[in-house]
Parts: sequence; structure tokens; C-alpha cells
Amino acid sequence: MAVPTPDAVLLTPGGPPALPSLLVSDRRIRAQRFWRGARLWIPLGFLILMLFMCFVLPRVVTLPSPTNGTILDGNDALFTPGHWLGTNNVGVDTFSQIVYGGQVSFEIGAAVTAIGMIIGCAIGIPAGYLGGWADSLLSRILDVLLAFPALVLALAIAEGLGPSEVHEIWALSVFSIPTFGRLARASTLAVRDLPFMTAARLSGTRGWRIIVRHVIPNIAPGLVSFSLLGVGLTIILEGALDYLGWGIPLPEASWGQMIASGQNIMSAQPQYVLVPSLFLLVTVVALNMFGDALRERWGEA
Amino acid sequence: MSEEALLEVTDLRVAFAAGGQEISAVNGVSFSVRPGETLAVIGESGSGKTVSCRAIMGLLPSTAIVKGSARLRGTELIGLPEPELRRHRGAQMAMVFQDPARSLNPTMRIGQQIAEAVRTHRDVSKAEARAEAIELLRLVRMPLPERRFGEYPHQLSGGMRQRVVIAIALACKPKLLIADEATTALDVTTQAQIMELLLDLQDELDMALVMISHDLGLAASYASEVVVMYAGKIVEQAPAGQLFGARGAVRMRYTRALLDAIPDMERAAHTPLPVVAGRPPDLAALPPGCAFADRCAAAEDDCRETAPDLAEHVPGHRWACWHPCAAGDNSENGDIPS
Amino acid sequence: MTEPLLSARDVVQEFAVRDSGGSWGGVVQAVSGVTFDVMAGETLGIVGETGSGKSTLARSLLQAPRPKSGTVTFRGTDLTRLRGRKLLRARRHMQFVFQDPFGSLDPRWRVRSIVSEPLLAYGDGSAGHRQARVDELLDLVGLDPARYAGRHPRELSGGQAQRVAIARAVALNPSLLICDEAVSSLDVLIQAQVLNLFEKLRSELGLSYVFIAHDLALVKQVSDRVAVMYLGRLCETGPGEAVYKTPLHPYTRALLDSIPATDPGAGRATTTLRGEPPSPISPPSGCRFRTRCPRAADLCAEQTPQMRDLGGGHTVACHFPLEKKEPSALKETAV
Repeated sequence: MAVPTPDAVLLTPGGPPALPSLLVSDRRIRAQRFWRGARLWIPLGFLILMLFMCFVLPRVVTLPSPTNGTILDGNDALFTPGHWLGTNNVGVDTFSQIVYGGQVSFEIGAAVTAIGMIIGCAIGIPAGYLGGWADSLLSRILDVLLAFPALVLALAIAEGLGPSEVHEIWALSVFSIPTFGRLARASTLAVRDLPFMTAARLSGTRGWRIIVRHVIPNIAPGLVSFSLLGVGLTIILEGALDYLGWGIPLPEASWGQMIASGQNIMSAQPQYVLVPSLFLLVTVVALNMFGDALRERWGEA
Repeated sequence: MSEEALLEVTDLRVAFAAGGQEISAVNGVSFSVRPGETLAVIGESGSGKTVSCRAIMGLLPSTAIVKGSARLRGTELIGLPEPELRRHRGAQMAMVFQDPARSLNPTMRIGQQIAEAVRTHRDVSKAEARAEAIELLRLVRMPLPERRFGEYPHQLSGGMRQRVVIAIALACKPKLLIADEATTALDVTTQAQIMELLLDLQDELDMALVMISHDLGLAASYASEVVVMYAGKIVEQAPAGQLFGARGAVRMRYTRALLDAIPDMERAAHTPLPVVAGRPPDLAALPPGCAFADRCAAAEDDCRETAPDLAEHVPGHRWACWHPCAAGDNSENGDIPS
Repeated sequence: MTEPLLSARDVVQEFAVRDSGGSWGGVVQAVSGVTFDVMAGETLGIVGETGSGKSTLARSLLQAPRPKSGTVTFRGTDLTRLRGRKLLRARRHMQFVFQDPFGSLDPRWRVRSIVSEPLLAYGDGSAGHRQARVDELLDLVGLDPARYAGRHPRELSGGQAQRVAIARAVALNPSLLICDEAVSSLDVLIQAQVLNLFEKLRSELGLSYVFIAHDLALVKQVSDRVAVMYLGRLCETGPGEAVYKTPLHPYTRALLDSIPATDPGAGRATTTLRGEPPSPISPPSGCRFRTRCPRAADLCAEQTPQMRDLGGGHTVACHFPLEKKEPSALKETAV
């Protein structure tokens, strides 16, 4: 019993002022409050910064073109005036590429996760809640999707339909749908027979209303924090497709695309790999930490 | 209290820093346990009864700040480094928890769990540890100990599991056994069996027993000394015979309220129970006066201003109240109807 | 004779279980032919230990899940034959309060929504009416609506959470409340408050109760009649006073003897029941208590004792019931 039970730690009614603190120092309590906030706000701050940089900045400031450059500006080093993150071998500004490539990465990450979440939940929640033959049927659908090697399928889609951002989103969704579906099913199973679910059923609430009002609010925290992780994973996976040459068509860029093309000259010019990698790393870590902090907050709710 | 005390706790205080505020769980608790004695520590959830015993055992999480003194046969336990504390735990003192299912490893045979406890504290061979484990199972009156040795916890009933937990606690013949709500999760008939077992073992092994419970009835039936806790403080302490005897002498209104609230076979059906309104105070913001004042029928201004100290008003009987109940009156007082 | 409010006839509930390896583990005979009546305005207490099937019985009465066989007639309708909306309509007047006050409230809902859930589900009144009704209900259970309606369950104490569960249970003006260990997780002072609340609702709303608990003294405190359950069967029923003053079944006697008294040293003199309850997967033949009973004879293994009335509505299922005159008979034989 690390923390006293709820009966004892609830609010204070109005009354005489509390006794001064005896054992726990004010500093310790302030530090505890600070870190609790920091765990949520620091990663969130980084994410907002990244999104601002990718989506707002190019509308406010005129950046060099992310696709065209002059060969005269080629291979500028870091911190060159006008190209402070340097340029590539054909003179395209690296920072512009990061900004516009970040748009593509975030869009794909968010879209694939959203599609996975919506379709996955639409299959997984009824499967977990209904059980029986409905569960068997819906679970098999997820199994089939999971059994597809996502990369091969993505290659097939890119081959058949031609590489484009939308096609890549659908290809990667083949991977995210069963993942979210499985998670939604497992979380639903975990809450389905809790006493408050039985209580709701006995209170006369039925079917869909139970799913919408009881099941979803209770499994949402886990799903949302997992989806933040999913955005990060998708951005990395998208890079893998680019690397294989079946992702975003050149000369458009994404972070994954930049890392992939930079690898050819990594020994000579490591910044072509390091700069986008750093942005990718900060984003993925911030997404994960934000997801964890969010779950911590919601877990208490 | 006396020099031959086995365990002497003086001014024990425990606080937690949780959720950005300080929670004062134990606020200056002093008591002593003599060898072979049965002390019952009684209180509701949040009264600090479990936290104080865990502090003595050194089982609190690192977020807890413990001050004060707890001497076991003269050795100060508070602030003792973990390795030394571990030596005392088991060899000198052991603890049995409420939930036997969670105290046992579900993937290990019970016999091995007991044998492991034996081997942690003494350098014996595997075969010797096994023989001792079977002996311990026999000691806790487990039927067919040789066969039970190879069974897993889930194959046993709650009562049988608690016997296994007790056997593990006894592996090194401790001088002090702390039973934290050890029978609360059990049925009444099983509870009676386990309490009888604990008292028998206490005689056989000459142990002191500290039983932590919310149940005054249990204390009255089995304990020799009773300590009642409220909001992290001892509010009343007396020998069980004196407190619950034919001409009982409960002086604290809180203890009285606990006694009155126990469902009584003699009461006619549907008669309202005497109740105390409200609930225990917030441990993050304890009032400066008596913590029970807000719920007490006899509370006056002095109660809200200054907290009464626990003092020995009658030989052997300590209480902390400015306006105690009249002596020798254990009848219901039905203070505040709901 | 008036018709009973609730009448259970030969209710049987069984579950298939798997053993730890996931293979076939057998059938748990949780409830095996339980029969009783509850009259309007009456409180029936059901006492039993862990594994006696008392909670399963409560769920079977509520048809959650439906019993394997037997009938549960409530206000003249056999609930075991109804499905879907018809069952919902019939069950409207039968509500429940469970043991774990926090577990039975959705942690993401506020008190206001929790209490109005049954009103919404049964389409009772407009939003404004529901709001007023929630305030009224919270008042009834002793919670200030202004202070508590907007809270989440985690901001309540155990006693307050149980009051919210009770408010939800009485929202539809039920005639019967099924309480399964409704106060056993509460501290003793809070327990007394909640028990008094049940009493108040009984007299103010004319409620009947099926009050299930493991604590005999507690059950007796609230019940007009008491039924004692052991391993899926009732072994004794009767008026509370009679069951407690002159128990007829040896098991009831043992339960009574196990209660710690508030007399010092009383514990050492009590008779404790020997052994462990047998597994409900393979209960003993005949009388299920015979393996632990000091009075068991060959007949007990051969024939299942039937419930019989020994006068004054005091019934017992035992071949060799205790004499009414000597309530301490068992004490001598058991030691």
C-alpha cells in the first residue's frame, strides 16, 4: 500500500489550515510537480515546433525551392549563408528539403495511422465485443492482412499503379489496419466483462450504445498513445520504401527519401544522412514520449 | 515500555510525496511488543496501520520518508542499509500479507518456494531445504505435505495458500511475525482456522505476533494487547481484556464507534445502526487539532485547536482524548443518527 | 396467499472450465437446484462462503447469464423465457448493487451520467426531467448533487461510490434490489452508513431485497428471512431470529461459531470447521456438506436431503438436523 486509499486522500473540506509540512521538503514536492508537467510539455513542444516548421514556416517565409537548385550552389557545407543546412550535389537547399519532405512524412504518417485506427477499430472492436463466430470471422480478416508482407504489397501497388503519395498511404495501411485491429480487439476483450460493463447492460443500455459510450472511451487512451508510436513507425517504414525506390517519386522528397539518397555519399558528405536522421529521431522520440505522458495522464482519469 | 521489549517503536513518522503534495501517513506512533505477545493494530483504511508496519519491515517504496525509531532487540531498523535489513527480515521478523494469491509465484511449485526461503537465510543443501520445507508444511497443518510440495498455488484454496505463505514466513523461525490483514480475504470458517493456527504456532515457536486488522472483533477474540489507530496516530491502547471485558473500558469515542458499527447478532433486524457521519480526514491536509473532531459528538473547541496527546491515564490504558467516554460503559451510545 | 414478488424454482447454473493447460477441465456446478421465494417488501438474506455459488445465483436471477435450467418468476413473468427487449422491460423493476463500488462505475463517466444511464436506456423523460431526477436521487442517497454530480468515480471515496451505485439502482423505482456483497469492501463505519441507507430506502420506497453476503451477522441485521448456501445448494432457510438462535443445519452452526466475538479470548474456545470445501467440479454425492459434517452417516452419501419444513417456515436440507432444544449439540460432537 504505497499510497493511502482513496477514502483518506480526498479533498479537504473547509476548516482550519493544514499543519505545516513535516517530512517532505517543499523542493521535492515542487520537483515532482515540475517533472510531471515536463514529461508532457517538452515532447509536445518539440512536436509543435516540427509541425510549425513543416507546415507554417513555408507559408510565411520564402524558402529556396526544395526540388530545383543551381549546380553553382552544389555541395555547400553546413552553415553556408543562405543555405544554413547546406545543399546537395545539385544545389538543392537541404533545409527546404527537410521542410517539404517533413510535410510528406507527417502526412503519410498521420494518414496511414488514421486509416489503420478507423478501419482497425471498426473490425477489432466488434470482434472483441461480440465474440463467438463474429470474432472468428473478423479476426481471420485481420490475419489475412497481417499475413501479407507489407513491403512486397507496397511494391506491387507501386508497380501496378505507379509511385505516388496516395498509393504509398494505401500500401502502408495494409500494415497498420491489422495492427490496430488486433490491439482494439485485445483492449475490448480486456474491458468487455468488467463489472461496470455488466452494470451498464443490466441498467438497460444495449449494443451500440455500450460500444460507443463505454468501450471506446475506456480503450481510447491505449489506442491513442499507440497511434502516436504508429506515426513514428510509419515515417520510418516510408523511408524504407523510398530507399527501395518505390516510394515518393523524385524529385519530391520525404525524410526517408533524403536519408536513402544521402547514403550513397555518406562517407564523403555525412550531413546528407545525419541532418534528416536527426529530425526523424527528434520527431519519433517526441511522439513516443508524448504518447507515454498522455497515457500516464489518462490512466489516472 | 519495558526493557525486555522485543520491538520498541518510538515516534515513528512516515510521509509520502505523491501527486505534488505531502501525504502524512503515520504521525508519531510509539508502541512496544514483548516476546510472545499478540498485539492487534486496528484501524480503517488510511489509518496508517499497514504503513507503520511496512516502515518497520523496511518494505516501503523509495518515495516514502521514514523518521523515528524502531528497535528490534536493541538494533535500530530505521535507516538500516538494505542488505542488513534483509538479514533481519526472515531471521528475526517476517510478514504475512492479505492476498495469498499475490504473495506466491504462480509459476513455481509451493514446496520450492518454501525451500527457497529456507536457503535464502541458511546455508543448507537442496535436500535439506526440501526436508525442511515439508516439515514447515506439516507445521502449518497442511494435509499430505509430501504431495502438496509439488503443487502449484492455483491448485490450492485460499486458506491453503495462506498456510503456504505462513510456512514461508516461518522458514527461519522469526521472533516477530506481522500478519497484515492475513485473514481478511478468507471466509469466516477459514479465518477461524488460520487464526487458531497462528496462535498455536506462536505458542510452539515462542513468537510475538502483530496482527494488523480492521476488525475489532478479531482483535477482541485473539489479541492480548490492542492498539487503535486513526489518521496516522494511536488514539487508544489497552490490554484486550481491559478494553473489551465484561465491564469494558473503551474511552475513545472512535473506538466506541468501531465497536458499535459491528453487526451484532443480538440486534433485531432492520433496527438502524449507530453511525458516525463523515469520513477520515485528508492525510495531505490534517487539521491541527484532534483528527476525529469533525466526526465526534463530544468535540468542543479545544479539540479543534490542539491535538490531545496519547497518555497513560489508567495503568496499562492509554488514550488520546480531551473528553473521553465515561469509564466502564460499553453500551451503545448511538451518537449521531444518519 | 399472495403471490411472491420473485420466485426461483430449481435454478441450475453450470460453467465449463478449462484447466491451466487449456484443456477440458470439467463443469463447475455453481448453482444446483435452488428454490426460494421473496415476498413484496421482504428482505431475503443469502449467506455463503467463497465458492458457495451465491454470486452466481445473483447473476442467474438477473439473467446475466441466463441459468441453465429452472425458472425465475418476477412479478408473474418467467424471465428465463424472455429475450431482448421483452427481458429488458421485465427486468426494469429488478436492479442490483455489486461488491466493488469502483469496479461497477465506468471510470470515464461522471456521477451525473452514471446515475442517469438507466433513465436514458429506458427512455424516461426529457433531458431536463432526467437532470432533476438525478439530483433527487443523489439527495436520496445522501450526496449533495451540487458537489458530487460533476465528479468522476476516482474523486469519490468507497462509500460515496457505493452510494452512486445505489442511486443508479433505484433510479427506475425498482421493486427489488439484488445486493451482492454490497457493503463488504467498505470500512466498518462506512458500512454502517450504507446499511442504514438500505434500511431507509426499504421503508421509503417499499423496496424488497435479495441481500447476499458472507457475513452472517450482517445479513441477519438487514433480513427478514435468511437462507444459508453451501456448494451450490441451500441448506437452511428461515426467519433470521430462528436461523441464528436455533440453527438446524450443522453448517449454519459452524458458521455461527466461527464469527469472532467482541469478548476477549473468545477465539480460543470456538469450534472451527475442519477441512476445505470440496471442489464444485466434483461435489460429494448426497449431501454436499457430508465430507466436513460431524454428524454425517452412510445415508448422507446415498441420498440428497430434501428441504423440509420443521415448523414456522424454518426449513432445512439435512437428514440429521440439530435439535431445536440443544443449540450447542455440535460443539460436543465436533471437538
